[in-house]
Amino acid sequence: MQPTPDLWVLVALVGLPFAAAAATPAVARQLGNRTAYYAAAVAAVCLALVASLAGTHGGASVTWVGPLSVTFGFYVDGLATFVGALASGVGVLVFVYSAGYMREEPGQTKYYATMLAFMGSMLGVVYAGDLVVLFCFWELTSVASFLLVGHYSEERESRYSARKAMLLTVGGGLFMLVGFVLLASATGTYSLAAMLADPAATRAAVEQAGLLFPIVSLVGVGAAAKSAQFPLHVWLPNAMAAPTPVSAFLHSATMVKAGVFLLGRMRPILVGDDWTHIFVTLGLVTMLIAAILAVCATELKELLAYSTVSHLGLIVAGFGFSTAVGAETGVFHILNHAAFKAALFLVAGIVAHEAGTRKFSELGGLWRDLPVVAGVTAVAALGMGGVPPFNGFYSKELLFEAAYHLAAHDGGLTWAYPVIAVVGSVFTLVYSLRFLAVFFGEKPEALGHVHRAPWSMNGPPLLLAGFAGVVGLGGVTAALGFPLAPVESFVGHVAASTLPPGADHLSFHYYLPTYVSPAVVMSALALGGGALTYLVWERVQAAVTGALDAVPPLGADWWYDTLVFGANRASTATHRTLWTDRLRTYATWTFAGAVGLGGLGYLATSVGVPLATPTLGIPLTVILAVAALAALAAIRAPSHVAGVLALSVVGFGVTVFFVLASAPDVALTQVVVETVTFVVFLVILDKLPSYYGRIQRSRAARDAVLSVLVGGFVTVTTLVATGATPDSIASYFVENSVPEAGGHNLVNVILVDFRGIDTMGEISVIAMAAVAVLTLIVMRERGETP
Amino acid sequence: MTVILRTVARVVVPLGFVVSFAFFLQGHNLPGGGFIAGVLAASAMALAYLAYGLDGVEDDVLGREVETAVEHVQHGIVRDYQSLYAAGLGIAVTGGLASIAYGYLTGTTIPYMTQTFRHATVPLFGDIELASALVFDLGVYAVVVGALLTIISVVGAE
Repeated sequence: MQPTPDLWVLVALVGLPFAAAAATPAVARQLGNRTAYYAAAVAAVCLALVASLAGTHGGASVTWVGPLSVTFGFYVDGLATFVGALASGVGVLVFVYSAGYMREEPGQTKYYATMLAFMGSMLGVVYAGDLVVLFCFWELTSVASFLLVGHYSEERESRYSARKAMLLTVGGGLFMLVGFVLLASATGTYSLAAMLADPAATRAAVEQAGLLFPIVSLVGVGAAAKSAQFPLHVWLPNAMAAPTPVSAFLHSATMVKAGVFLLGRMRPILVGDDWTHIFVTLGLVTMLIAAILAVCATELKELLAYSTVSHLGLIVAGFGFSTAVGAETGVFHILNHAAFKAALFLVAGIVAHEAGTRKFSELGGLWRDLPVVAGVTAVAALGMGGVPPFNGFYSKELLFEAAYHLAAHDGGLTWAYPVIAVVGSVFTLVYSLRFLAVFFGEKPEALGHVHRAPWSMNGPPLLLAGFAGVVGLGGVTAALGFPLAPVESFVGHVAASTLPPGADHLSFHYYLPTYVSPAVVMSALALGGGALTYLVWERVQAAVTGALDAVPPLGADWWYDTLVFGANRASTATHRTLWTDRLRTYATWTFAGAVGLGGLGYLATSVGVPLATPTLGIPLTVILAVAALAALAAIRAPSHVAGVLALSVVGFGVTVFFVLASAPDVALTQVVVETVTFVVFLVILDKLPSYYGRIQRSRAARDAVLSVLVGGFVTVTTLVATGATPDSIASYFVENSVPEAGGHNLVNVILVDFRGIDTMGEISVIAMAAVAVLTLIVMRERGETP
Repeated sequence: MTVILRTVARVVVPLGFVVSFAFFLQGHNLPGGGFIAGVLAASAMALAYLAYGLDGVEDDVLGREVETAVEHVQHGIVRDYQSLYAAGLGIAVTGGLASIAYGYLTGTTIPYMTQTFRHATVPLFGDIELASALVFDLGVYAVVVGALLTIISVVGAE
């Protein structure tokens, strides 16, 4: 049994980036451009903490929301260690790189603070041991990425992209939350650690509740939105509006990896036939479509963005297979993808920084000026394309193997899986070669001398590519009998933590194949097809671009724009109807809406109205009659002052009613409130015209109908609400107010003791109302219209 | 406004404040409490505004210079009202933390905003009750007074 992790180490690990983010403004004032190294140091400490947790397994938590069995809990296993190391490790490199890339850029403080918070959120997602904690950090990554994608906030495109990323990923997160609530309702706890401690029992509980399919789908929507699976992938290509280091981080180690991480996390509990069909189909379709779109990209980062979508599809498909090979595909490809994709993004940043453009049509022959970068690109791009013996090849082989086995086992339509996988890989190779081609061939004349990048920028991609290269070479040495043991055992260990209970897990090996197997044949087809297609890629590009132009719904943004801008137009139209600058319109719609909705609710639930016989004494009857008369008088009042006075009579009548009903505290409140209202009216009355305008007959009739409806509705509501005889609650307060709170005034005791948090909410509303009034007045004074 | 109103206000406004304070203190056991007391204090102040005008209160009572309309919202007594309700919210929110801190120090878990009370004997007053909820009620009081007066004074200035 492995030791359990220490709660405080976990709290430190997740809390440190946030604390560091909060301290960033002060630090940045001291360090200026060297803030990057501060952030890198924080990431390095996080990496060390992740490493210190590596040997442990299990959960650690403190109670958070006891009654709902929500804990502030963490959970450590192989998968968490893996993705945590990825986030903090790539974090170190990205921060170092930022020192060069962001030099002299404006908004550095905001940049580093948000990046640190982004890393912290990701670590929170990774180590969350409770569904609620996971959800909170999950949405925090969306918020942080919103700020980062919209970093150049004065640019329209940045704002559009940031909003899009936020809408889609936060929206997906809400689906996931519903899935979590269903999961918790089936198992009785929100503790992920408890669920993972006995996945079989959790799964049995879920199946017994009949909730397996809904949960898999809902959690799947969350994961698909985050990891940009088709058709929710549309936000990711736009996210390149962010500074390049952000893209590298986002695409390789943080946000988009959160989605596949979630699949890995839930896999032991939920994997099954539903799971396989949903995620393998989703992943492979995404892989194919995004690979084709990547071939059509016109600039470096766009290509990389679509390529990320495609590779995430590969990982999702891998996790989709219920076999051990599937788990290994997912885990190993996360590792490989993070290495080559981060390296390539950093390369794209160097090219853009030094050459001043990212467009393919303006680039070429860069290896003469940037030899180191060209080498890095060769290793990383060939890995991305799945060319042996580079790292991406091996994980793709695993995908082919898993797809072939499933098809051979199930037959029928499942043969589509290996076919799609191979076709997708063909396009993967094509776009990888296109990226690499930037460094070779003729150098365009317009491209002047290209400077070499500083070492703070060259170093990180070099390290990443070096790692990718070593992993790739490991396959070659393994074929010769010397496997790269650390990588193999690590990937095997991580893959084991994503396996359902009872799965037979063999130790993980990868090697350059020396014999012919179905997967090898598929790889050969993919490589050959890719090489041939590369020769005619311009025609492919023209065909796809033509199709996209001819049929807009095929395009990535079409449905998003239709939906969002459609909603915008609809809201503008509604706005025009409702927002007429006349109080009368607002009141009409509000009252009509309330009566309509509430009335529908009563009708739908067929509420019975209890008809209590009134037991009013003579004094009460007199008082209420006076109030009713005063209300009639208020309607017919010839001037404002008379109306206000009549209304006050109603109010004070109600006060007397409270006194007679032995509720002195409520009566007191009523008196004071009535007085303030009256005084405020007096203050305002001066400014109003002294007469009422003439009212059209039809409008008066409409208002009369509406007011009768509202009155009737309120009456029914009161009868229904009081019909439930709240005696038990009342007697509870009567019995407990003195012993528990030491107060004899029930109303006040309820306000400040028993329901203190409600009161807190109410006073917040009062304060907000004051702020709102202030804002409106200030805006008007300045001549702005709200 | 009329002389009568001013004369009445001169007596009633201070009385209003005193009664408001009494309501606030006795609220736990007798009719009263932070909300009512706050509204009463606000209405007393509003009466002063009615009698003397916004500038009158600012100028004569507080001896400050009267600002122009926009400035009015940003400076002077309105600024104080804003700080008042902000402080009230702060008191209400942080006051509840005391129970957590107390629980932590004594090694138990006490939820946020748990209230308690003690009896104490004070000379002249005899046995009085000290309820921790009074702190929270003070927050309510401050928010109500600050927010209402902010609204009344800026709307009145219009």
